[in-house]
Amino acid sequence: MKKTLYIILLAFSISANAQRPDPAPAQSQRILIMNATAHLGNGKVIENSAIGFEKGKLTLVGDATLIRLDKSKYDKVIDAQGKHVYPGLIACNTTLGLTEIDMVRSTVDNNEVGTMNPNVRSIIAYNSDSRVTPTVRSNGILLAQVVPSGGIISGQSSVVQLDGWNWEDAAYKTDEGIHLNWPRMYVYKGGNSEPEDVQRNKIQKNLNDLQLYFDEAKAFAQNASTVSSANLGANSKLTEDQNLKFESMRGLFNGTKTLYVHCSYVKEIISAVALADKFGFRLVIVGGTDAYRVTDLLKSKNVAVILGRTHSLPPREDDDIDLPYKLPSILAKAGITYTVSTDGSWQARNLSFNAGTSAAYGLSKEEALMSITLNAAKILGINATAGSLEEGKDATLIVSDGDVLDMRTNHVVNAFISGREINLDNIQKQLNQTYETKYGIK
Amino acid sequence: MKRIFTLTLFVMFALQNFAQETFPVNGTADPRHTIYAFKNAVIHTDYKTSVQSATLLIQDGKILSSGAGITIPANAVVFDLKGKHIYPSLIDIFSDYGMADVKKPENDPNPQFISKTKGAYNWNQAVKAEYDAYRNFTADGKKAEELRKMGFGTVMSLSRDGIVRGSSTVVMLGDERENEMIIRDRAASNFSFNKGSSSQDYPSSLMGSIALLRQTYYDADWYTKGGYKEEYNISLDAFNKNKNLPQIFEAGDKQNVLRAVKIGSEFGVNYIIKSDGDEFERIEEIKNAGAALIVPLTFPDGYDFSDPYEAVNVSLHQMKYWELAPTNPGVLASKNISFALTAADLKNKTDFWKNLRKAIENGLTEEDALKALTFTPAALLKLDDKIGALKNNMLANFIITSTNISNKDNQIFENWVNGKRYQIADPILGDVRGNYSLTIDNLKPMRIKIGGEINSPEAFLFEDTTGAKISFLRQGSILTFQMELKKSEPKGNYRLTGDASTQNWNGNVLLPTAEWGKWSMKLDSAFIPPVPKADSIKKESPKGVVYFPNMAYGWKELPKAKTYLITNATVWTNEKDGILKNTDVLIENGKIKQIGKNLVAPAGCEVTDGTNLHVTPGIIDEHSHIAVSHSVNEGTQSSSAEVRIGDVVDADDVQIYRQLAGGVTTSHLLHGSANAIGGQTQLIKLRWGQPAEKLKFEGAPGFIKFALGENVKQSNWGDNQVTRFPQTRMGVEQVYWDYFTRASIYNAKRSLVTVSADQQSIPVRRDLDLDALVEIMKGKRFITCHSYVQSEINMLMHVADSFGFKVNTFTHILEGYKVADKMKAHGVSGASTFSDWWAYKFEVYEAIPYNGPIMHKVGLNVSYNSDDAEMARRLNQEAAKAVMYGGVSEEEAFKFVTLNPAKMLHVDDRTGSLKVGKDGDVVVWNDNPLSIYAKPLQTYVDGIKYFDIKQDEILRKEITAEKARLMQKMADAKNKGESTQKPVFKALELKHCNDSELFMPH
Repeated sequence: MKKTLYIILLAFSISANAQRPDPAPAQSQRILIMNATAHLGNGKVIENSAIGFEKGKLTLVGDATLIRLDKSKYDKVIDAQGKHVYPGLIACNTTLGLTEIDMVRSTVDNNEVGTMNPNVRSIIAYNSDSRVTPTVRSNGILLAQVVPSGGIISGQSSVVQLDGWNWEDAAYKTDEGIHLNWPRMYVYKGGNSEPEDVQRNKIQKNLNDLQLYFDEAKAFAQNASTVSSANLGANSKLTEDQNLKFESMRGLFNGTKTLYVHCSYVKEIISAVALADKFGFRLVIVGGTDAYRVTDLLKSKNVAVILGRTHSLPPREDDDIDLPYKLPSILAKAGITYTVSTDGSWQARNLSFNAGTSAAYGLSKEEALMSITLNAAKILGINATAGSLEEGKDATLIVSDGDVLDMRTNHVVNAFISGREINLDNIQKQLNQTYETKYGIK
Repeated sequence: MKRIFTLTLFVMFALQNFAQETFPVNGTADPRHTIYAFKNAVIHTDYKTSVQSATLLIQDGKILSSGAGITIPANAVVFDLKGKHIYPSLIDIFSDYGMADVKKPENDPNPQFISKTKGAYNWNQAVKAEYDAYRNFTADGKKAEELRKMGFGTVMSLSRDGIVRGSSTVVMLGDERENEMIIRDRAASNFSFNKGSSSQDYPSSLMGSIALLRQTYYDADWYTKGGYKEEYNISLDAFNKNKNLPQIFEAGDKQNVLRAVKIGSEFGVNYIIKSDGDEFERIEEIKNAGAALIVPLTFPDGYDFSDPYEAVNVSLHQMKYWELAPTNPGVLASKNISFALTAADLKNKTDFWKNLRKAIENGLTEEDALKALTFTPAALLKLDDKIGALKNNMLANFIITSTNISNKDNQIFENWVNGKRYQIADPILGDVRGNYSLTIDNLKPMRIKIGGEINSPEAFLFEDTTGAKISFLRQGSILTFQMELKKSEPKGNYRLTGDASTQNWNGNVLLPTAEWGKWSMKLDSAFIPPVPKADSIKKESPKGVVYFPNMAYGWKELPKAKTYLITNATVWTNEKDGILKNTDVLIENGKIKQIGKNLVAPAGCEVTDGTNLHVTPGIIDEHSHIAVSHSVNEGTQSSSAEVRIGDVVDADDVQIYRQLAGGVTTSHLLHGSANAIGGQTQLIKLRWGQPAEKLKFEGAPGFIKFALGENVKQSNWGDNQVTRFPQTRMGVEQVYWDYFTRASIYNAKRSLVTVSADQQSIPVRRDLDLDALVEIMKGKRFITCHSYVQSEINMLMHVADSFGFKVNTFTHILEGYKVADKMKAHGVSGASTFSDWWAYKFEVYEAIPYNGPIMHKVGLNVSYNSDDAEMARRLNQEAAKAVMYGGVSEEEAFKFVTLNPAKMLHVDDRTGSLKVGKDGDVVVWNDNPLSIYAKPLQTYVDGIKYFDIKQDEILRKEITAEKARLMQKMADAKNKGESTQKPVFKALELKHCNDSELFMPH
């Protein structure tokens, strides 16, 4: 009890001198960004661009040298000569807003107890006031998938925009997918590994159990006597067949939810594809280190992949030393929709550099950018409104002094979410200022 | 008179020879002093001598004589061994025969700081010098029989438990009383790196085991020189008493063998070292180490690659090891390394002969094999006057075999132990394989074929052309067959039994009708081993060569220094010249020879056109945990200053190569952060392929790791770890005060005794832990301290000021920006931090990516480190974050990962910048090294090109080809019936400073 109080007090004292920036109000002014190099996120580049937006939507994405521009239509014109405009970056598979400090249990809300929790929803725990989020945002990440973890089925993820007063405000697409940690399918030898035969038996049993679980969930979804989630709550029609877990999986069978399977090893990927194929699920592989071994399968079944960090080590001693660096390019060349991700929360601020590395290993810069913009939007099913700079889509974009993929030159100076100009300040910038002032080194 | 004297002498001699017993006789005494004579045998009197048609005479368990032309006394029992061989029986000096099983330590989640052994024993439960195997030896009939069947007559039994294991004993493998079987009570003193059944926390790491052993040597020395007056210590007393015995060290793999040798050289001990059998992978170093070895015959099974997706989990190292492990004994012999072979570690003891013959097929001569199983083990224990050969007065321990022991078909018929016969196979039957015709009563003769292995023959019945396996047993000369006849009447089961002692076998048969009949069997043709068709004999394909290290990306031949010229490049000097355009760099004899424009390429120089390329000094990682064997933490006590990462450098870590490919040339390998005073660190250069000792940065000053904050106070170690002092930052300060106070007193006492040593005084015990602290206070050892929050940073500087030394480096130091001015005032040599890590635990909640830039602007020497094998591959990009967040100039930012760490490590006279005369630690990049798009094309260490991106492409193809070759070879071996194992994924061990048995973050 004393401990808890102590932590709460500490948290309070921090918040007193380092507030997260206030969320921005809705776009009221019509804005035009002129002369920047626009990287549209769909692979196209406009050297001297004119980007106009009002009421949160892009109204103009064009080449300033080719179109006739009526600047009087805009309340505010930003001259971004020499700068670069990008769609807001999209971070998949994060715990943003769910974990504040990894090792402080009271600040960790991403991992529920139990093995099958399809009904738990990440959006409920999303902390829109996290001190972490603004540090990620100031590097250009404006949308994120917030993902639960733990157990076999961890729960449901949602997509949020990273500037809001509360989770309802932040929600961009709620409960869009269910996350399944595929049981390990290789025999492993390490510190506390079980005997080989025990492991081999478990592999088969786990698969059978998982299969049965989905069979039962399907039977439930087909049972007319159950009440669909829209009508849950105080409802006189509720019967003893009602099952919140299976109910939450209904969307997988009618195609409104995506099944995200977290796995790395090739056999797990193949098995996940087979399961999704059997039930007709929309499948996304998360992690997918071995995806390069089964590109044909993934392509033919239209399975997308959320790769882990490009900045990681090859899993096997003999692997090509640059394997993680070139995985994006291998998947891109095979025609697979993929994105890269960074795992965790604060690490998301390095998302664009993880993409940048793929541009050094086989991709063009625009392809690398596409992976964390339009591709990510497609995977999350939000590409109708986000992911690229196209007229009619949300005005969710950033302006950088340099190349957003390269830490050598990147410096994000403006960011807009649905036309709202975001305050790019964060606790770290505030502390920097404080101490630069203290030492007189500004 | 003379006669009386002779007679007396004779009687005395005879009496001496006769065994005497202390045990009472129940019944009538039955003394046996029979002389046994074995004649007409090929007698191998020792490993290199064999005598044809020789005779062996034994009596009372001893050899009377052996050789040719020996007269057999009339009163001898004579065995005619025509055509058979007699060998000295085999000796295994690394056996657990007759020893109790080693218990697994109880799994107690609570910490245990001192030994649970009750009594006046050592503080550490793994030091059991007082253990004597002979006091605990109990003969084990079943195991003795198993060993005798393999041909062994004598073993050295030891308790494989603990780091100091006490004495072992040499026993014979007969079934007589223990009193008769022990031939050397205290045969050797035994050691290992493994604490075995000890439940005590310390040591938890390999380097901890090494430190404990070294400390025990010093303690024992102190004890004998007067320490015994201060305390009684059974373990140390026994340790000293065991000192004049042969010293045997169970080390393990090749690197551990070298580690054991190093310990031995510190204390003037030549260990006999039990290895794992992988010495061939570093044979030159093993040879130079000069130790005699005890080598197991454990050869791994090939992998079953029928599932290709499991196959991908088998590494090239595992495959190459499979191919080359059987060459190990032969390689050792060819290098004239003295070694004994042991059956220890064989999962299946019956593999002993199979594997010995495999070793012989792979280059071990029969003579060397025999030597390693007779003479050498006997000589190593100074028992070669008793066992290991068949010479007068030696023990009558020998085996009788059908032919040469290296012959695949050799059978051991008898094993004589202490002059007592143990029959193993029936020599009357010998090889029964062949084609026979069988007649039962009046039935038409049928053909029987006996084939299979000589020691496990199988019988087949041919009623027509197809054969059916039938049951076939023999007991002595009694034979039984059981067969079902389908073609002859009456049909049904026939049960034959008969006598095999005559040329033609015959006997009675129980017919299907339950009546009895007669049968006989005649040998038509003897067994002829099947000769494979000429085209089907695949000569074993040539073996692959050993790589350095013997794994993917290893070298076939280690690279050497050449002269290199890189022309017309952008050169980042890190010197006052700054960044030079269109400049050439010449590297010669391992050093930077010249930097300038239009340099002339010396003859034989390798030239790289550096147009559009960047040349920089090699990257230096101030905080790394790669290339360390086993744990990086000895975190069981608040100080582990006595442990040394330098003892456990792992030259076979693929991360060395991967980091070279990221432009790293120097890494500072740190102890973890589990305790306030961690272990001594090791600076290495990434000389990929070289053995551990040659990776070490020569002449670099010593460092020690300190740590503060959450890890040290065990904040995130779970609910069981709440009793080790300290649990708060207040306690951490007192740990330092306590240790440095004690170290000061210790230092004063030691200096005093050195000056005025008199016979009466008790010497001050050398304490390796305090030694390291004294070095710190004397400025001979520098600190790099894991630190996060401002309060603790401040604290350590105060402690240092109080004891008159400087904190050299603060590592991690994520709140350094809050006390940068104080650090500058204290005079720290460096602040080594992360670029942008935070929020992973509470103490880094105010970590900011502006930390490095602020400290830099305040005037501190700042570096960025990795603490992570992955990040180390792109430290250049981390440096770029100082540009992005803090507006540091590119030139200064790049120094964060090159010159600045060199300065804080005090090796900037050698590396860290491109300056004529400095080491050739150079990287060639395709782009500005701060860019995400930059890749190292070449990395030089000491002017040797250890990484080349073009060579890497070739290596990848070679790895694939070598794996393909070995997969085919394994498939062939599997088809030939060799046993296989299924692939298992062995995850690469990645270490962080948090790694220990308990989870803990950075």
